[in-house]
Amino acid sequence: MFTIRCPYCGERDQSEFSNGGEAHVARPKDPEQISDREWSEYVFIRANPKGIYYERWVHTHGCKKWFNAVRNTSTDEILKVYKMGEAPPPLKGFKNTIKTPSGEPDVGSGNFSVKKP
Amino acid sequence: MTESKIYFKFDGKKYAGNQGDTIAAALLRNNVRLIGRSFKYHRPRGIYTCGIEEPNALVQIINEHNEPNVRATVKKIYEGMIVKSQNRWPSLKTDLGSINNILSPIFSAGFYYKTFMGPKGFWKNVYEPLIRRTAGLGKPPKEFKSKSIHQHHNVDIIIVGGGLSGLLAARKFAGTNYDVLMVEREDALGGVLKNADKIKSINDQPKDEWLEKTERLIRNSSNIKILKNTLVTTYNFSDHLIALEDKNVGKPQDNEKPELVLHKIRTKHTILANGHIERFITFRNNDLPGVMLAASFEKYLNRYGVVPDESPVIFTNNSSTYSLLKSLTDLGHKPKAYVDIRDQKNIEKETIDLLEKFNIPFYPKSEIEGCEGQKEVKKVSIRTKKNQISKIKTSMLCVSGGFNPDIHLFTQSKGLLKWDKEHLTFKPDRIFQKTITLGSVSGNFSYEKLLVEVENKLSEFEGLNELEVKFELNGPGKFQIKELWETKHEKKSLWSKSFIDLQNDVTTKDLRQAVNEGFNRIEHLKRFTTNSMGTDQGKISSINALGIVSKILKKDISEVGTTTYRPPYSPVNFSAIAGRSTYEFYDPERKTPLHSWHVKQNAVFENVGQWKRPWYFKKSEDETMHQAVQREAEQVRKAAGILDGSTLGKIEIKGKDALTFVNLMYTNSFTKMKPKTGRYALMLGEDGMVKDDGIVCKINDQHFIVTTTTGNAASVLAHMEEYAQTEWPNLNVYMNSITEQFATFNLSGPKSRVIMSRVFNDIDFSNDQFPFMSFNNFKYLDTEIRILRASFTGELGYEIYVPPSHALKLWQKIFIYSRDFDLVPYGTETMHLLRAEKGYIIVGQDTDGTVTPLDLNLNWMIGKKKKDFIGKRSLTRTDIVRETRKQLVGLVPIDKTLGIEEGQHVIEQKDLSLPIKDPVDMLGHVTSSYFSPNLNHSVAMALIRGGKRKIGSRLFVSTENLNTIAVEVVEPNFIDPKNERMML
Ligand SMILES: [Zn+2]
Repeated sequence: MFTIRCPYCGERDQSEFSNGGEAHVARPKDPEQISDREWSEYVFIRANPKGIYYERWVHTHGCKKWFNAVRNTSTDEILKVYKMGEAPPPLKGFKNTIKTPSGEPDVGSGNFSVKKP
Repeated sequence: MTESKIYFKFDGKKYAGNQGDTIAAALLRNNVRLIGRSFKYHRPRGIYTCGIEEPNALVQIINEHNEPNVRATVKKIYEGMIVKSQNRWPSLKTDLGSINNILSPIFSAGFYYKTFMGPKGFWKNVYEPLIRRTAGLGKPPKEFKSKSIHQHHNVDIIIVGGGLSGLLAARKFAGTNYDVLMVEREDALGGVLKNADKIKSINDQPKDEWLEKTERLIRNSSNIKILKNTLVTTYNFSDHLIALEDKNVGKPQDNEKPELVLHKIRTKHTILANGHIERFITFRNNDLPGVMLAASFEKYLNRYGVVPDESPVIFTNNSSTYSLLKSLTDLGHKPKAYVDIRDQKNIEKETIDLLEKFNIPFYPKSEIEGCEGQKEVKKVSIRTKKNQISKIKTSMLCVSGGFNPDIHLFTQSKGLLKWDKEHLTFKPDRIFQKTITLGSVSGNFSYEKLLVEVENKLSEFEGLNELEVKFELNGPGKFQIKELWETKHEKKSLWSKSFIDLQNDVTTKDLRQAVNEGFNRIEHLKRFTTNSMGTDQGKISSINALGIVSKILKKDISEVGTTTYRPPYSPVNFSAIAGRSTYEFYDPERKTPLHSWHVKQNAVFENVGQWKRPWYFKKSEDETMHQAVQREAEQVRKAAGILDGSTLGKIEIKGKDALTFVNLMYTNSFTKMKPKTGRYALMLGEDGMVKDDGIVCKINDQHFIVTTTTGNAASVLAHMEEYAQTEWPNLNVYMNSITEQFATFNLSGPKSRVIMSRVFNDIDFSNDQFPFMSFNNFKYLDTEIRILRASFTGELGYEIYVPPSHALKLWQKIFIYSRDFDLVPYGTETMHLLRAEKGYIIVGQDTDGTVTPLDLNLNWMIGKKKKDFIGKRSLTRTDIVRETRKQLVGLVPIDKTLGIEEGQHVIEQKDLSLPIKDPVDMLGHVTSSYFSPNLNHSVAMALIRGGKRKIGSRLFVSTENLNTIAVEVVEPNFIDPKNERMML
């Protein structure tokens, strides 16, 4: 369990929050004008990367405010938290710890406890 | 010092122990060595260690709700404790299950996967009962109400382990500004200072004196809190640790106080000073009672004052056994023999001097080949440096195979390990979190280097104390070891086995067989053989297994790697995890303001979410539920009934853009709706599926009150908040839950108007003044109530919203004023029946998240002219407009005496008699079914494929005994299809 810094309340336990999936997936402005495929992609399809990810969180058992976060999904490090409406910070600004071909960071992902020779 | 004796029972016999003894220490004091039977082979097992790493000596505490798998080496005795051995039948000494030992070929690696494949039915009838009888450990505990609690900590530093390294670290932090928590799993600080005689003095004082002074100093520092009898079990991400404290060490359980405390610790830095674990060596019959780890033997001598055996044989591959030799000879005891696999020239001088001084038989460059005995060790067999076998009579064998830094917590924290070639073990290499390792857990086995290590690793902290510590050691300061994981067998018989995992009865033969069968990855091998998968997680043996496997595979041990160390470090009681969240504290109970009235009227309650709702009211003691519901339902349609609807969710929506927002949230159009009217409304998800329904009441375009189903109140509000905050933050709108600000009464039935007119005699309830789906606020006594004319029964009906403070009085008043009108209170079951007679849906019963408004024939509720609402676009997706989707229909049995069961399949074929050759095509299922007292036959609703086109046709509904019931498919509206009654 990690902690999350709610931009309104400060640092709290993860158990106070709910995850809202990928962030910055805009609802189509004019749904009637787009194809079934485009609409379905908005409704059903989300990225699920191993690595750095923009996602939405809500402080369910707290202020109930939604906000965005940048999280490294392979290490659970929350790299940045920002309010709804603020522009997403560029990914280039974060050190991506993923180095190995299989997408494992060389320390922290936990699949191997011994450094590979 | 005179010590009072403590009496306890083991397998029915009374024994005496000393204050502070563990069960194991007390049993050893009484010369009891046989403690239990092993998991698969039922071999006799004894006490192998002196701590948490114990694989064998697991017992059941009968007077603590039968608590099973308790480590006898950890649990302390108290007066009157009742302990039993485990996994033996009929008794520990004559165990019939040990036949498994002879049958062992079928119990080899992978036996669960291979042996029990067939024939059909054998698993259920033969194998499983057999395994359940003979394999396994303790019996499940009895149910009890735990008083365990959770406690939270937020600290700067946690020091895990109160041994020498932990004490030095704490000494550095004493009196500083850092908030420090020190956690020690034993009942006293000191670690090695108490367990062994390796250190003679510290700062020229006896070590005990230094320990006492240091502990006092730490204890008096206001910035350090010490938790004893507390085991850190888990090191999570984000510097979050979990520790389990035993509050009843050496005391019987007190039913009024917590027996366990689960500590949840947030820290900024973690200092791991949790030491090391001694490992064993595998040889023939290395599981016999009487085989014990050398450092554990030493701990019994030093910490408990128990001499497990006065003349054991010592077998080692390293220099650490010097101090055991010294402790024993200091007590005047003489080991039978000292067997060391190292060359004499590599064995430290101090050891050789001692052996010579006491004339102890010395076997350098030799090893233990095996040991013999029926229930305990009688003889050991030594392979000497000339490769000859020499047998010695002894009743105890002390083994040291080297030491592993206790890396469980470090690897749980996701730190990486590396192989230490000098000490032949894995040690921490790279940290992932803010972790500092000190002492033997970091791979530092030298007391001289410890001070430097502490100074260096704590140099990042400012303002710490200077350490002035000088050790004087007993014996060799430098740790020296030679590789040895197992020794070669001489004797082959079914009885002779070399164990690599004592708790799970895994032998080295199993490891070889698994590799032969292709399981050459360590994680696969672990699961196939179950090596290190016991409750001890192979603490004394898992590295040995890696050593053996690396030899079989001819690979470097670091290439083989370790298996993943997962939390918890040691089993955690479910009672501690649950804490106080059990029984009545499991979930809050919510009661309506009328609850006491319902209780007096013999309501039988139903749980709806957290709410207690009257299910039905028992009119007399012998009235059945069916009778009650039939009576209530009939009376509502004949006269009038009243339901406590206070649990309905109520959300107030306000703001300049409230109308726009409500239009987006619900399918209906609210733009042209007049103020002071309500509308039955549907809420969809973005996928077009029905999420909730309720009534939207418009006070004006800036102010709405909506109702939700009882169970969805919180999720509907969250859904609204999500869209308001994330999708349309530009809209000026605010939501508030007002569920508990009003009690709600649903009055329904042909007499309801006259009752309302009597109760509120200044209000005109005529159709003109109070039409269907209109509402108004009225002054009532010193408060205000709202009355809405609406109906969920199909009868003329009114909903009254009243502040809780006035609810009970008003409810009673209604009954007084309706004496002449036969008003009946009814519960949720009758409500469901009445709405089913009208074909009204219950979200979550007639829908399941895959049902659209079109499937429910609710097209009329969709505001087609609205540009957008949540889920609108999905309603025109090709899959949603498909005619063969499951659609809601009504079902009426052809034989009107028959009842239909909810959940049964709707099918086209009549005959279901066995054998069924072709798969039965299932059209759908029955979602709601009731016997209607008003129609005098069953009515049901069902979701069936292409249902709309099947209206008028005949289908069949399955029954639980493979019969079918013929039904006619009808429109789901069984009573008053023109809806005249509610417009009355
Ligand atoms: Zn917050």
